[in-house]
Amino acid sequence: MQPEESRTDLGVVKIHKNVIASIASLSALRIEGVRRIGGGLFRSGLAEIFGKYAVPAVRVEISKNEEVRVEIPLVVDFGFNIPEVANKVQESVRSGLEKMTNLSVKDININVQAIEKPQKEAK
Amino acid sequence: MRILGVMFYASILILIGLSMIFFGIALSFDRLQPQTIEYINNFLAFIQDNPSSRVVAILSGMLLILISFSFAQLILGRFQREKNIAFRTSSGEVTIALSAVEDLIRRITGIMPEIKELRPDVRANKKGVITVDLRVVLKSEANIPELTARLQDITRSKIQEVLGIEEQIIIKIHVTKIISPEEKDKRKRDLEKEEAAIPFGGYGRI
Repeated sequence: MQPEESRTDLGVVKIHKNVIASIASLSALRIEGVRRIGGGLFRSGLAEIFGKYAVPAVRVEISKNEEVRVEIPLVVDFGFNIPEVANKVQESVRSGLEKMTNLSVKDININVQAIEKPQKEAK
Repeated sequence: MRILGVMFYASILILIGLSMIFFGIALSFDRLQPQTIEYINNFLAFIQDNPSSRVVAILSGMLLILISFSFAQLILGRFQREKNIAFRTSSGEVTIALSAVEDLIRRITGIMPEIKELRPDVRANKKGVITVDLRVVLKSEANIPELTARLQDITRSKIQEVLGIEEQIIIKIHVTKIISPEEKDKRKRDLEKEEAAIPFGGYGRI
């Protein structure tokens, strides 16, 4: 993973892609209706083995003109309107990334992988 | 890349198959050359004697497993990507896995008590038409036309409500089994009988 770089008067500030993925993941989890961040068994399993448990499956791409593209796999709670939840997640991720990193976000792609019972009902 | 992955798996499987056939035929007709056996023995002895070759063998094995996992992920990922409903918003693309729609439909069982089991299969074509195949097991001898019509309505409205789509949804229902209340009671009684038949062995002897 190549870190995103920005120069200040005092030196260079590098933001690792994992940081961007973490911000995206945490911003997504703040939205009501998002059960958890998804991801295939292989990808999240291997990520956990290699210690990247904080950002299990969020994919981050940074283009040459410093535009960020994020792909977030989601598991949504049953009973919520998926386009509405996806929209809120996109907005939350965009504002979270722009606020914390000053990066320009081009695309936030949401991939709804499953629907699960909300925590209260499951118990 | 997908073709490369498929070719990788196919060539490994063909290689294993061919070697098994070769050894099977050679052993059954006793045609395995002593030189071949010697060659295999020498090769194994070389690996055993040489520590670096052992490391190479282990590393190549691990590399092969890693490559195999990567190809599997690639192929499965691509297949998964094809099984999606996608739409674009101002911030990017939203894809919904068809398996997620199946999860959603499965939850309908909780709404309709007459349904014992529900197995959905969701497909979407390029024109945007969603086809839902439902295989249901009903609990009692309810009015099937009325029940299936209700199930179709609930499924359609639930998909439209949760996914927010206006596309055409075709819902096909296949009733696979009807479990009568007597059958359920009988099964319960049988189970109780079986449980009661187990003799109590005591807590152990002193």
